[in-house]
Amino acid sequence: MFGYIIRRLISGVLVLLVVSVSVFALFFYGPSDPALAYCPETRCTPQRLEAVRTSLGLDEPVVQQYTDYMAGIFTGNDFQLGSIAIECPAPCLGVSFKLRLPVTEYLISRFPATLSLALGGAVIFLTTGVGMGIMAARKRGTGTDKGIVGVSLFINAIPYYLLALLAYLFLISQWAIFPESGYYGPFTEGPLAWVKGMLLAWLVIGLSYSTQYARFSRGSMIESLNEDYVRTARAKGLSERQVTLKHGLRAAIVPVVTIFGLDFAYLLTGTIFTERIFGIQGIGVTALDAIGNKDLPVISATVLIAAAFIVVANIIVDIIYSVIDPRVRLT
Amino acid sequence: MGIQPTEMPESDITEQEPTLVRQEIAGRSPIQIAVARLKQDKIAMICLAVVILFALIAIFAPLLTKMFGVEVDAGSPSKDLDQFNFPLIGPPDHGFTWEAPLGLAPNSGDDNLAEWFYGARTSLIVATVSTLAATFIGVAIGLVAGFSRGWVDKVVNFLIDVFLSLPFLIVALAISPIIVTRFGNKPQQLENWQFVSLLLVLSLFGWMLLARLVRGEVLSLREREFIQAARVIGVPTRRILFKELLPNLIAPIIVSISLGLPAFVTAEAGLAFLGIGAVGKPSWGQTIDKAVPFFNTYPLYLYAPVLGVFLLVVALNLLGDAVRDAFDPKTRR
Repeated sequence: MFGYIIRRLISGVLVLLVVSVSVFALFFYGPSDPALAYCPETRCTPQRLEAVRTSLGLDEPVVQQYTDYMAGIFTGNDFQLGSIAIECPAPCLGVSFKLRLPVTEYLISRFPATLSLALGGAVIFLTTGVGMGIMAARKRGTGTDKGIVGVSLFINAIPYYLLALLAYLFLISQWAIFPESGYYGPFTEGPLAWVKGMLLAWLVIGLSYSTQYARFSRGSMIESLNEDYVRTARAKGLSERQVTLKHGLRAAIVPVVTIFGLDFAYLLTGTIFTERIFGIQGIGVTALDAIGNKDLPVISATVLIAAAFIVVANIIVDIIYSVIDPRVRLT
Repeated sequence: MGIQPTEMPESDITEQEPTLVRQEIAGRSPIQIAVARLKQDKIAMICLAVVILFALIAIFAPLLTKMFGVEVDAGSPSKDLDQFNFPLIGPPDHGFTWEAPLGLAPNSGDDNLAEWFYGARTSLIVATVSTLAATFIGVAIGLVAGFSRGWVDKVVNFLIDVFLSLPFLIVALAISPIIVTRFGNKPQQLENWQFVSLLLVLSLFGWMLLARLVRGEVLSLREREFIQAARVIGVPTRRILFKELLPNLIAPIIVSISLGLPAFVTAEAGLAFLGIGAVGKPSWGQTIDKAVPFFNTYPLYLYAPVLGVFLLVVALNLLGDAVRDAFDPKTRR
């Protein structure tokens, strides 16, 4: 087990290294000169451009630039742009071209919105999805089962952004059934404002993701309810509720946990469509804005962080898998 | 438990006879079985009809626009629009007119119906080409990895991990302009390069799951007797790969294609909605993006492309699900 975790960690670090090198190469060999962004267009003389290049370290060889960037993550970096000095403390992922802010600080300020979105959505889709799955599995073959399967197939087939867009346009913009969406800090502006602003976005994420969980948990629940130990539990005279929840669900929840880990990691990397449609200032919209502004440090930082989330989630899922399913032994 | 003798009704011999003809046992390939099952599936057949309809619209888009007497990119803001940049004819203010059945676009005055027809075309071309490219890459890489095992397999697995950990939307949105400015330095080529970059990005991020699937299948197939037999009698590796292994992978490949198409249609429209993609070519996603601000005053402008994406993707998705079920011997419908 321990050896397995170490090996997974090493391969995870390797994946992140390759991602960082390719992102660095792509964006820094890319077409737009990073120095131009610091050089005001109307007053940009060649000397000035050269000075910006030197201060950003862009005149150094690429390998040097890359190692500087990576070292900055652990030790921090300071940038001197003419008269402006920007301090970039320890997990330094560069300085934003447009905002002249350390990227890390900027992203951390945007993260609570994305985290709220992911948490609320996950609670809804996990409970309704797994609940519907269990219900369908217990009433297998009946109208309830067919209804749940049919509806979840249909909702699953609809592109997510159309669902979100139509929900926003009709339920908020036109009929005003839901309050205007947006992110409000639960501690600074009160929990009520927080829930109000997120409500519809949560519901849309919940609805769209829960279909997948309903189908998934239905499938594995049916499988586990057919196992011998479930029959034994029934024969012992346990109540139907105990049989399903304690004996059936314990085995059936394993595959659900694996997909949940990855889904949650993807949600944390920023749901661009949700954030854009509902006007929530999270990581996704930040990345989108950065792409519009050609703000390379912000883009590469979001890609790197997203990759890190996914790699870590993968490792955690594998470890949890072995903990909750006694049949799985990691070697 | 004994067999209960039941009273058989006396039947007419002449009527019985045809059913007594022994049913011929016919060998059927998995594909034949799947097609037969698919034909039984009413929803799948309706979806297939919808998909064929969209394919016909895409193929005959030029003919259809001519038939309706409309044109793409033919709007002129000064001639067709009023001072608020709203169309002078047709919806939303002037009722239905055959001159522009779906109305004109605000700001540009382009004809919505023509844009819609050509949007179907862009959508399906992008989806088809990228599905084929992604399938080709996935099968090739999966075959090589599974068959050669060893370090090649390790490298491929690692590559799959790297690609899967990249956030698709952000990378696609960031790479696309890079490809365009790198290669499309001549203005007349720009439009083509935007199209190519979209196809590249989509197929570059669409191959991993199929590759993983094919690799797994090949890993188990290569230990089977028929492969060993082929090796012993000296069949060249190329022949083993394409004549022995590939035919056994047809089912997962077809399923992956049929589920890949809707995913690519969704991705194309989604990227266009976020502001990249085939700029310069009509695309439903772009129209949706442009139409959202006009939702309260001119809803039809938004409904047309939304309905296009919705119908096409839902039909393709449900068809894909049915194809997957048809190939899966475990499901009984």
